[in-house]
Amino acid sequence: MTVEVRPLGDKCNIKCRYCYQEGIRTAGNVPTRYDLDAIIATLDRLGEPFSLFGGEIMMTRRSDLERLMQLGFDRHGGVGMQTNGTLIEERDIELFRKYRVRIGISIDGSGPLNDARWAGSLAATRRATARIEAAIETLCREGMPPNVIVTLNRMNAAPGRLDVLCDWIGFLGSLGVRKLRLHLLEQDETEGGEGLALTAQENLVALRRLRRLEQELPSVEFDIFTEMAAMLGGDDARTSCVFHACDPYATRAVVGVESDGRLGNCGRTNKDGVTHLRASREAFERQLSLYRTPQADGGCQGCRFFLACKGNCPGTAIGGDWRMRSIDCPVWFGLFEDIETELLASGEIAISRSELRPDLEAKMIAAWSIGDNPTLHSLLQPADST
Amino acid sequence: MKSAWLTCWLAWPRPPLAAAPREPVVAKAATQRISFSGPQARALWQPRLERLGEAALAIELEMVRRKHIAATVLWTGYDGIEALTERVRAIGLEARPIKASLGYAADWSQDASIDEPKRLLDYAFLIGAAPLDAAMADPAAEDMAETAIRFGYPACCAESWANHLRRGGSDPLARVLAREDKTAVPAHTALAVLGLGPVRHAPCSTDCSATRDRSRPFLDLGRELGFVEEMSWLEEIAGWTVGASLVNGVAEITTAAFRCTWLSDEGPSQPRLAAPARRPEKRKAAAIELVDSAHVLAELGTGFESAGFASPFAMRSRFSAVVWEQTAALRRATTAVHIGCGDGLLLELIAQTKPKLRLYGTEEDTAAAEAARQRLGASFPVLGGTSTDVFAVLSRLAPEGIDLAFVDPEQLGDRDALAAISAIARSIIVIGTDRSLRRFRDIDNLAATMGLALLPGRAARVSATLSPAMDRLH
Repeated sequence: MTVEVRPLGDKCNIKCRYCYQEGIRTAGNVPTRYDLDAIIATLDRLGEPFSLFGGEIMMTRRSDLERLMQLGFDRHGGVGMQTNGTLIEERDIELFRKYRVRIGISIDGSGPLNDARWAGSLAATRRATARIEAAIETLCREGMPPNVIVTLNRMNAAPGRLDVLCDWIGFLGSLGVRKLRLHLLEQDETEGGEGLALTAQENLVALRRLRRLEQELPSVEFDIFTEMAAMLGGDDARTSCVFHACDPYATRAVVGVESDGRLGNCGRTNKDGVTHLRASREAFERQLSLYRTPQADGGCQGCRFFLACKGNCPGTAIGGDWRMRSIDCPVWFGLFEDIETELLASGEIAISRSELRPDLEAKMIAAWSIGDNPTLHSLLQPADST
Repeated sequence: MKSAWLTCWLAWPRPPLAAAPREPVVAKAATQRISFSGPQARALWQPRLERLGEAALAIELEMVRRKHIAATVLWTGYDGIEALTERVRAIGLEARPIKASLGYAADWSQDASIDEPKRLLDYAFLIGAAPLDAAMADPAAEDMAETAIRFGYPACCAESWANHLRRGGSDPLARVLAREDKTAVPAHTALAVLGLGPVRHAPCSTDCSATRDRSRPFLDLGRELGFVEEMSWLEEIAGWTVGASLVNGVAEITTAAFRCTWLSDEGPSQPRLAAPARRPEKRKAAAIELVDSAHVLAELGTGFESAGFASPFAMRSRFSAVVWEQTAALRRATTAVHIGCGDGLLLELIAQTKPKLRLYGTEEDTAAAEAARQRLGASFPVLGGTSTDVFAVLSRLAPEGIDLAFVDPEQLGDRDALAAISAIARSIIVIGTDRSLRRFRDIDNLAATMGLALLPGRAARVSATLSPAMDRLH
């Protein structure tokens, strides 16, 4: 479970054209103040390591931010922080070091490659991008290389630009960046985002190219490919939320601690400008439905990758309806096929081609039916021993 | 709807129920979950829904006691059985178990274990006057409609529901949503799934007048029993705009206060909204202009090798870091010059940070100087020629002097050039390129090797201000 602390909710200083939180901001559902004591009380109750998140977390008053960093350091030996990097200042570097802040920075590329992360005007956008690039280089030089999140879109990964993106990632590797997270663009809330999305085929081409790049750059890891291989191998203990049967009513993988200390959900499924609170009980209607629904109707019936993929993130569901499978299905399917082929060629197990798959599926469906969500790893243990 | 404050909960609709259990074979998977639209909505409506649940239970039992309906069905966990039976006995009714179903793992009590499977189950009880015939709740092919009428269904709804059950259905709302008429689903019908009343049967249509008529006695009885405030809330709910949809067997009701969902057993159906969900207006953004990769590379920066960088990305990143590190100095300055400005990238980045700054560039390479002029435009003078000539021109252009001069000391060649810059610039910022940092490891070593003294700063910086002691190099 990832606990995301969001004192200012979705409040942000830039306006990325494709941001999934834009609906919330447009609807005006952004807190203007927060109750730090209530937030800390909730964190005490949860007792879990946490990440500082937003919106843009660096808009939080520095003294309050430091208090949260110190709490994370004292209780858990450090704290995560996801930021767009534009507000990092010189004085923050020492805070990051002092409290062992693990930083993740979102940027789609150098200079014009990052133009989709719009800041109001082209000059403001380029200025923001320059500050992000400066922050990444500075953090690397200070021995705190950030993880970098890149959203693939037409600005940075269109066929004519993909090589430039790859060269930039190579540069990041030379700076010291070790981990990159790749996101596919979620297009639903801003007209500005329209026209930015790559086609499924272009996304697949881009991801395949980046996967080859990962092999060419041994120091850089794209965690998405590692995780997909792990899911096919049934080793899902440390893979990210999109592969774990997310319940949009009570997201298990991501729990938000909001401005007043209440628990919130991951915001990716908030399509109507409303940040719904967590339901009191987790359930798996989506996965139960997808398993039995024909693919032609937006389901996953008969897909051999269902156990590994589970319909992927409900925030990316077809038509913005969380009950459907991900609109990026063709992309994930193609990548799973690639990885499956390689796993089998190297003599490793792929549950998609395993004779255990029907039994595993039956067990998973039975578990979801009573509100349980076991790991594949745990289901494989008794199966292996028989 | 089950909640922590009740040990038992009403099923919806009233019997007769489907012969085949819903898929999956767990009642809880088909029960509703609520997610409030915000803390204020939850603060207001969670306690109201709880009280409405209590009121509905009391009204339903009173309707059975008064023989308005033949019986009803309540669910409870194992630990609630005793309380349930005592409660119904207290009003002269009988409780008969008719069904058990595996509960939800999340609801299992800590002491529930595989050794006590009875504690993992939820139990359905038929509640009615003694002697109670448990078979009356079972679906009987012949008299299903008649049974439904005994449980309070209007005749039209009884016939419709019986037909639906015969066809293998079991979810009343799914049946309503699957109908071809696309009239709005009234809030009382859509929210009947919560078991709060006043609609307690499966209505035949969204505009069934008999269903509306049956709601009135429920509300009246509630008031008679003292639930005045609760019944006013139910009447308020009747005016709500709700969205109701069934997609691939998953139903969802949305209101301004909350949304709820449950797994239905009914097949794929297209979404249908009673009223279109209010989505925020899309924000208009500037049009996206895509230029080709050659333009992208030119924008990123040209001439990186001669400037001492391994790639255009390295040059852009470094210059960005220089601007970032010198934010305070730039804030104070009104004029700045980049000596050996190449294609003008650093000046462009500075201009983006502080647009009102008066900027100058110098560049001996003619092609690079031209590239800089193209990048920066006519308002930023880029001076060509040898350094001696350039500094003379610069002195004329800025007779009051320059606040900041950005220099790569490796490119200057000798201390005379640095002295000339020092003569016109109040502060000199030394920049570390890939080439110089590779050679000298860091900016301090670079400066020390070149005989320069720097103001103290972070060890890992890529730019630094020349010490005032070096201000007048002669």
